[in-house]
Amino acid sequence: MMASIDQHKEGKKDVTFRVFRFNPQVDSKPYFDDYTIPVERGVTVLRSLNYIKEHIDGSVSFRAFCQAGICGSCGMRVNGLSQLACTTQVWDVLAKSREPEVIKVEPLRNLPLIKDLIVDMDPLVDKMKHYSNWVDSIMPEAQMGKKEFLISEEEFLRYDKATDCILCASCVSECSILRANKEYVSPAVLLKSYRMNVDSRDSLHDHRLAALVQDHGVWDCTHCYRCQESCVKSIPIMDAIHGIREDAIECRGKKDTSGSKHAEAFMSDIEKKGKLVEATLPIRTNGVVWTLQNLLPMAMKMIMKRRTPPPPPLVKSAKGIKVFREMFREMTEHVKQDHKSHKK
Amino acid sequence: MKPFDIVIVGGGGAGLYAAMEAMKTNPALNIAVLSKVYPNRSHTSAAQGGANAALGNKAKDDTVEMHIFDTIKGGDYLADQDAVNVLCTEAPKIIRELENMGTPWSRMEDNTIAQRPFGGATLPRCCYCSDKTGHTILQTLYEQCLKKGVIFFNEYFALKLSVSGSRSKGLIAMNMKTGRIEAFAAKTVILATGGYAKMYWNRSSNAAGNTGDGQAIAYRAGIPMKDMEFVQFHPTGLRKSGLLITEGARGEGGYLLNKDGERFMARYAKEKMELGPRDLVSRSIETEILQGRGFDSPAGTYIHLDLTHLGSDLIKSRLPQIREMSMQFEGVDPIEEPIPIRPTAHYSMGGIDTDNFGRTVMDGVYAAGECGCVSVHGANRLGGNSLLDILVFGRIAGHTAAEEAGKFAPGMISEAELAEQYDAIRSGMHSSGRYERYGELREELGQTLALNVGIYRESSLLQKGIADIAELKERFKKVRVIDTSDVFNTNLIQVLELKNMLDLAETVAAGAFARQESRGSHTRTDFPVRDDANWHKHTLATMVNGNVTLGEKPVTMGRYELQERTY
Amino acid sequence: MKRYAYYLSCINESMTKEVDRSIELWQNDFGIEFVKLHEGTCCGGSNLEYVSPKHFALVNGRNIALAEKMGLDLIVSCNTCLMTIRTAKKALDESPALKKEINDILKKEGLEYRGTSEVRHLLWVLVDDVGLDTIRQKVKVPLKNYRIAPFYGCHILRPSTVLGHDNPVDPTSLDQLIEALGGQTIPYKHKNRCCGFHTLLVAEQESLNVAAEALQEAIESKADFIVTPCPLCHTSLDGYQAKALKNAGVESSIPVFHISEMIGLALGYSAKQLGIKRHIVS
Repeated sequence: MMASIDQHKEGKKDVTFRVFRFNPQVDSKPYFDDYTIPVERGVTVLRSLNYIKEHIDGSVSFRAFCQAGICGSCGMRVNGLSQLACTTQVWDVLAKSREPEVIKVEPLRNLPLIKDLIVDMDPLVDKMKHYSNWVDSIMPEAQMGKKEFLISEEEFLRYDKATDCILCASCVSECSILRANKEYVSPAVLLKSYRMNVDSRDSLHDHRLAALVQDHGVWDCTHCYRCQESCVKSIPIMDAIHGIREDAIECRGKKDTSGSKHAEAFMSDIEKKGKLVEATLPIRTNGVVWTLQNLLPMAMKMIMKRRTPPPPPLVKSAKGIKVFREMFREMTEHVKQDHKSHKK
Repeated sequence: MKPFDIVIVGGGGAGLYAAMEAMKTNPALNIAVLSKVYPNRSHTSAAQGGANAALGNKAKDDTVEMHIFDTIKGGDYLADQDAVNVLCTEAPKIIRELENMGTPWSRMEDNTIAQRPFGGATLPRCCYCSDKTGHTILQTLYEQCLKKGVIFFNEYFALKLSVSGSRSKGLIAMNMKTGRIEAFAAKTVILATGGYAKMYWNRSSNAAGNTGDGQAIAYRAGIPMKDMEFVQFHPTGLRKSGLLITEGARGEGGYLLNKDGERFMARYAKEKMELGPRDLVSRSIETEILQGRGFDSPAGTYIHLDLTHLGSDLIKSRLPQIREMSMQFEGVDPIEEPIPIRPTAHYSMGGIDTDNFGRTVMDGVYAAGECGCVSVHGANRLGGNSLLDILVFGRIAGHTAAEEAGKFAPGMISEAELAEQYDAIRSGMHSSGRYERYGELREELGQTLALNVGIYRESSLLQKGIADIAELKERFKKVRVIDTSDVFNTNLIQVLELKNMLDLAETVAAGAFARQESRGSHTRTDFPVRDDANWHKHTLATMVNGNVTLGEKPVTMGRYELQERTY
Repeated sequence: MKRYAYYLSCINESMTKEVDRSIELWQNDFGIEFVKLHEGTCCGGSNLEYVSPKHFALVNGRNIALAEKMGLDLIVSCNTCLMTIRTAKKALDESPALKKEINDILKKEGLEYRGTSEVRHLLWVLVDDVGLDTIRQKVKVPLKNYRIAPFYGCHILRPSTVLGHDNPVDPTSLDQLIEALGGQTIPYKHKNRCCGFHTLLVAEQESLNVAAEALQEAIESKADFIVTPCPLCHTSLDGYQAKALKNAGVESSIPVFHISEMIGLALGYSAKQLGIKRHIVS
């Protein structure tokens, strides 16, 4: 009796996999091949691709290794979304598929294409090197192996989630800024940098942070949260990015970069008026020269359309600003206290 | 390319530790690491549990000596005791060293490295980082290698050891990105390519690439393989993928049910039921399947691991990983229905015969990790000792090679030798009369190994297995490589991997047939007891004229006399 | 008449005044009233959160507490303000210690954060509370001749653990609204992508590239206009459009509307009433 229940639950569907194809030796541009195969419930996208490779077309090329969601080899876009083929159930994808019984499989974005579903991971490795994505231990090599560092569970928890990263590059593929500029540090590298920077055994914090605040670094992130949303290990990547920025402001000061100046402007405006003074935000972020060069033509248009933000004196404070300011400053005292007790 | 002092094949825990240690031993050396995957993809990342070391953080009275004894006993007295000594003595040092260089470890309340109990260990000595210990160790080693500027040749597939007389000249490998065959002339070569248990194919929890490439090229170069018949099976692998469902599921009260809905473990281990030792539970499940009490499915026969009675809350809070795995890889939510499982091959105790310094019989060739066999695991490996093995002996091999590289003159690999490899590959694509599909052969190899060289072994079954493998090797000569392109030809790579598995399968079956006793993971129904008088020795499988020839090697004993292995 | 507390976003008070002006025009048509929270302050615009997490919790805990005092849900018409205030709400609801700390301070103003008011986007109120049927009934000038590209923006979708209204991979609420107003939505890959606003002052080139891609797709798909529920997206796609497209070498343009204006048009208000002339691209 149980066997028959199982039979029933297995079920089968004919599913068409629309696979991105490109062989640089023969193809002048990419195209798609359709492969329709019977798929029973419980089968993953990777198993389907394996089936296609073994039974229909041996030339379909993709990477796969552990097939268990831990090695990160089989990152690809399944119906547009970057994920691991090995942990993605075909029937789950079909349930959300726009075209019935069709699954589109494409290579990850933002990395150079090698062949079919295979992209070059070297740019990511190069960035890991550029941003010193390793612990440079405060312990000299000759001393190692004798004594453990004593690390609190609290410190461990600071980097625990970040060390879940398997470098599958799904976040890299989904990143808005990388799409706009391939030089950008990348979410995965920011995550790893954060993980190293909060490790008390590491000696490179300042050096790494100095690299992270440069052009194409941490301040270029546009907060789109695509990295976090696509992370196959559900790592809160934006927390790491925010963590680096918080650290940068604390260690390198509010006036360090345009990014930190921009962020700090919010804090000071809220304290003063409870409202953002947008008119001077460009100047406070990038200085007068930049603002004149970059925004003047647009400002003219905006003035014509009466779209310019009001000058600072005309920005009305929020109602009840006096009490608000007191409360805001009280919190500033709390934060100071926190810092003192933290430093102890 | 200028000759290398050391070429390391494999970028997992053993290979990366070897690279780091070699650079440390002699920074002037020219060292390269070749890997068919990016090193951070290596199978080391799949080890969840941890690494054993008698740090005494959890159990203050733990000692290296106890770790040694547990390991020898767990290996059913087939391990070499001097090697086990090295493994366990080096353990605390190497775990601390990893910690010192930045590996994240879970922590005890006193901020030391956390330890937990593990099967076969007298005291809790398994050091861990949540359920991702191997992953975090691999990340750390890769990061440290990047920091040290190790030269990586990623996505290179090793084809052959180039040999001159009794010594190696280096390695011939294919650059997968271009399809070019390249020579790596080298004074020394360290093989660290991991295990061979993937030859059981979808009856294995291993990564698709754990095809014994290092062992195979060494074997074909005439280097002996040790104790190849010892393959460890885990009782609860997922039906479709072979991936492991950890013991935790049964620890929390999961039932094993056959197709009649019966908790069959009552027949095999009345008291311990589902929580009997791994090998016993594996054998019990296999018996149910063999006697027709399993469920049939296109993906093979299986039984049920039922958690539904545990309730949604317990499953969600205590077994979230298991639930996620069942849903991702099997499409089954264990809250609602039982998980289809069957035993799965997951570790190979055997490998390239080495001494305690990682040396093989061939000058300039070393091996370490699951690829090698020192032997520290004997007939059965303890949980938590595999990560330890790759770290300790990876480091030792790196050190030895760095010290000894100066002894050897650099090799020269001829164009003709490269051309020979190229021609062999091209003929696989273009010569007529090739029609066999590699996928079918691979599937059949896994089938026959699981059935005839699996958990239960017996003379007639093994003979069938040996005959099947021989037939598959014949058919392999007619396998056609369909993808004829140079760039990233994964079709070609999989065919080459199949060749490696076929060659090694022969040694596994031969060893299993010869060993007329039951010891550790090797269970002969026709020889159900351990036979120390005749079989307390290692087997050595060597390729002679293309065929496997078996020899033997004594077990190095030490402080511990032979005893019956009971728990 | 269903009432809501309405959060005043800084940008709607300065650069995109037309958003609130439009809402004022039509709110009564739908039998709803947005009560402006003049005491509310800037949410910190996704920056305060890391500059000072505690000030962030205080400021937004207070914004929500003001609505709670009125016994109303807090409605927001800027994506980033929405995401930011909801992030603070989540932090406060998950941490009793943080909640206590800010409530001790809020006492000064006679306020208390309790967690009783929801923080929702204008779009969600329209689709879920007013309802598509009511909207359909009220339409006077259906947008039936228009092909419309729905641009959701990031912070109404992601992080989904904070937002959770639409599926971030394939959102539908804005599409539904457009269709209820008689318009025709086009398949638009950029519907859930980024507008680049948040790095306009820090990484301008990258931001312009991001915006240009979204604009180009809409232009190439022959959309008549883009509509967005976010004034920041509007600023990037409208205000910076000329610069972005020039950068990308595209000689074309496309108008961008706020949802509040699109509703106004369908309900028969004039472009002038709605302040559409204030847009840079016409």
